[in-house]
Amino acid sequence: MPTAYKLNPISGIKNLLIGLWVTLRHLFSKSITLQYPTERWEMPERSRGVVVLLSDKETGDLNCTACILCAKACPVGAIRIERHRGDDKRWKLDSFSIDNTICCYCGLCQEACNFDAIKLTPKYEFSSYDKASLIYDVNRLQDLGRDVDYVPTAKKAAPKPVAAAPAGDAATAVAPQAPAAEPTPTVAPMPEKPVEPKGEGE
Amino acid sequence: MELTPLFQWIDTQLISLVEWLGLPIWFAELLEMVLAAVAVLLMAFLIVLFLVWWERKLSGHFQQRLGPMRTGWHGWLQTIADGLKLFQKEDIIPTNVDRKVFFWAPVVCFASSYAAFAVIPWGEGVIPTDLNIGILYILSITTFVVISLLMAGWSSNNKYALLGGMRSAAQIVSYEVPLTLSVLGVIMMTQSLSMVAIVEAQESVFSWFIWRQPLGFAIYLVAAVAETNRAPFDIPEAEQELVAGFNIEYSGMKFAMFFLAEFLNLFLVSAIATTLFLGGWQGPFLPSWLWFILKTTFVIFVIIWFKWTYPRLRVDQLMEFCWKVLLPLAFLNLIISGFLFRG
Amino acid sequence: MNEATPSQYSEEFEVNMGPQHPSTHGVLRLMLRMNGENIVRATPYIGYLHRAIEKICENRTYAQCIPLLDRFEYVTSMASEEVFVLATERLAAVEVPERAEYLRVIMLEFNRIASHLIFLGTFSLDLGAITPFLYCLREREQIMDLFEMTSGQRLTYNYIRVGGVAYDIPEDFLPLARKFVDTFQHRIDDYEAILTQNPIFLARTKNVGIISKDIAVNYAASGPVLRASGVKWDLRRDDPYSIYDRFKFDIPTGTVGDTWDRYMVRVQEMRQSNEIVRQALDQLPQGDYKTKMKAVFKPPVGECYARIENARGEMGCHIISDGSTKPYRVKLRGGSFCHTQLIPAIAPGMMIADLVATFASLDVILPEVDR
Repeated sequence: MPTAYKLNPISGIKNLLIGLWVTLRHLFSKSITLQYPTERWEMPERSRGVVVLLSDKETGDLNCTACILCAKACPVGAIRIERHRGDDKRWKLDSFSIDNTICCYCGLCQEACNFDAIKLTPKYEFSSYDKASLIYDVNRLQDLGRDVDYVPTAKKAAPKPVAAAPAGDAATAVAPQAPAAEPTPTVAPMPEKPVEPKGEGE
Repeated sequence: MELTPLFQWIDTQLISLVEWLGLPIWFAELLEMVLAAVAVLLMAFLIVLFLVWWERKLSGHFQQRLGPMRTGWHGWLQTIADGLKLFQKEDIIPTNVDRKVFFWAPVVCFASSYAAFAVIPWGEGVIPTDLNIGILYILSITTFVVISLLMAGWSSNNKYALLGGMRSAAQIVSYEVPLTLSVLGVIMMTQSLSMVAIVEAQESVFSWFIWRQPLGFAIYLVAAVAETNRAPFDIPEAEQELVAGFNIEYSGMKFAMFFLAEFLNLFLVSAIATTLFLGGWQGPFLPSWLWFILKTTFVIFVIIWFKWTYPRLRVDQLMEFCWKVLLPLAFLNLIISGFLFRG
Repeated sequence: MNEATPSQYSEEFEVNMGPQHPSTHGVLRLMLRMNGENIVRATPYIGYLHRAIEKICENRTYAQCIPLLDRFEYVTSMASEEVFVLATERLAAVEVPERAEYLRVIMLEFNRIASHLIFLGTFSLDLGAITPFLYCLREREQIMDLFEMTSGQRLTYNYIRVGGVAYDIPEDFLPLARKFVDTFQHRIDDYEAILTQNPIFLARTKNVGIISKDIAVNYAASGPVLRASGVKWDLRRDDPYSIYDRFKFDIPTGTVGDTWDRYMVRVQEMRQSNEIVRQALDQLPQGDYKTKMKAVFKPPVGECYARIENARGEMGCHIISDGSTKPYRVKLRGGSFCHTQLIPAIAPGMMIADLVATFASLDVILPEVDR
């Protein structure tokens, strides 16, 4: 067995007093507690909280083009998308849901998205008593995203062709607009008038 | 604003009441005793209410936190809320416990701390009973705490609880010795065991025994912290080692009893320190009971301050410290005071 | 003194310490054979936090592995990202821009400080001193704030990427970081004032849980545990990765290898890391923070092992690639796993309180053990 350490009583008492002095100093310093529900921390801009779907600011429609890049990028499979091919051979969104119980808030979906459609926002208060209510459907996600500011990135305003779209007219359907002049991003084609964007782009 | 006239008034009222009822005069004394006991019990609850809040606030601010803030002004209702919660909790008695011992352990623990309040001199003339062996009474009655902790540790049928109970028995019995020896120095000088006599021997600030018995006071304080199982001597419940020690299986009101007793003990040792070394209720301007409370609160503050600064000792180091350091010092103190203040 | 010999009057008993216990730092389970307060035998049981990270990685693309690896060693997530990314970059021969390397070093060293602060806090907590824990977490919060404003998360950053870092630092990062670096050294003085020379602390840690040089080397200890035993071995100096060869720093070592030495090594490492961050902030160049990568990242067929000096010792990552978008096999190595093995070797004869102190000083975190 190792021998017990020999203590020097004088330095021992001195250091006991030093310890008391440190805590006493802190006793009279200002507390750093943030009283959460009444005071709130201002979250940094990049903070990754709840996932939302962004809508076009003018039309109010979802930016999402149902390209499922986000679902493919998700490492945990939290994003579920159902879609079908519309008459114009472009993908139409049937349902879009994010399971917040398994989402790991890594932000890969946001990086994968080419259309400014999905974003992780600094909102963090979405706890719930019910697990089922944490699976957000498209309406919920859109509502959450309505007040989210975003700057449509120029790079993303010039999207690549929709991922799984076959050759033909559909590939060029989401044609790029002039990036610099038009700040509004190219949005998903509207179901009612599918031919319009194509003509506009050319 | 002394309290003595109030007591005298109550006394005469009681006597006249008893006479009017045509009962013997000892009945009035009995009534007085019951009244005093109830008053002390209420006082004890109030003290615990305050102390728990006080410790939580202090520990918070020592750590640059705020402590409880939501219930009432700066959380002063927090203890009541916690008490209500404990009342509501299910009183779990695990399957394999020794039921009788398990039940009585917290009761004994609380009762022994409560009983010691009988001889605490709250102020001039404010003492439930001025026993002529007051200090001896306190030292002996508080020893029951050991038995209760051992009972709790043994009956819980849990290895951590058993270890905790054993630790506390070893610790409290050991520290009883230097504690008593440090008190002896004061008793030698006052030639009395009565609490009132001890206080009255410290008329002016300079005659407080802390000046005449500094070593005795230091030993008393250290031993008292150990007696109350508080950090840095909190090995019986040592959360990081024994999870919760002797009270690991207790819940609800039984746990609350241990909790009450712990804080009553804290108050008790501080009150004794005030009485023996800090001049008790003596002090200028303010009423005597207020002086007593203020001084006691200060001692409690110091003990809390220790707790939130120091790490915990190990069980063998604790015993070593007691028998190899404190005890010789206590004897030294006794010898010195014997030489210096021989009557 | 503490010879554990049962007599006819006493009997040994077993205590099941954990997986739910205040001082097992997660879910380690220790079966303790006790003789009174003394430990006769200690057997760690691991696996309560096993999440099959290595196996899951085989089904994820390289980019998707990174958020997963944040959970591998979640106290220093930056390091577990870095080690994987380093291995991948070596495998695919990816050039990393200068600025990204500096940002990585800043983040890694900040994370080392944060991790050591957690160590310091929980260590003092396990010794019964509660207040330093709160002080340590106060400083750690500031580091977390810096991470959050940069990467977007406080704990699972997903910041270090193949070919650089995910984002450049925001504008107000530099002043805040500098302020932290300047004030932090005084904060360490505070912690040391409470603990280092405190006689109770000394009594609890000096000559407790001694790990000799031989034992440390034979049990593959690394990092602060190894250095506390007197072996001057630090991968940042001995096998430099990233740009660590550009910074000046000391490698603190202990002499005896007891609990106090391990504490002291970590405290001094915090000071050194603070200096590294200061140098890195001063030298931080302008430029890209990320190399342009192809949309679909496919490293060539091959395998690669990378190791870094983490707060808990050597952290390694072995990647085998079959040329597809997903790694064929990922093997992770964490210091904690080796350090957990030390417990049965050094525990017999200790008291239960010493075991708690020693275990805390090894600074084991269970996700790294169980993966």
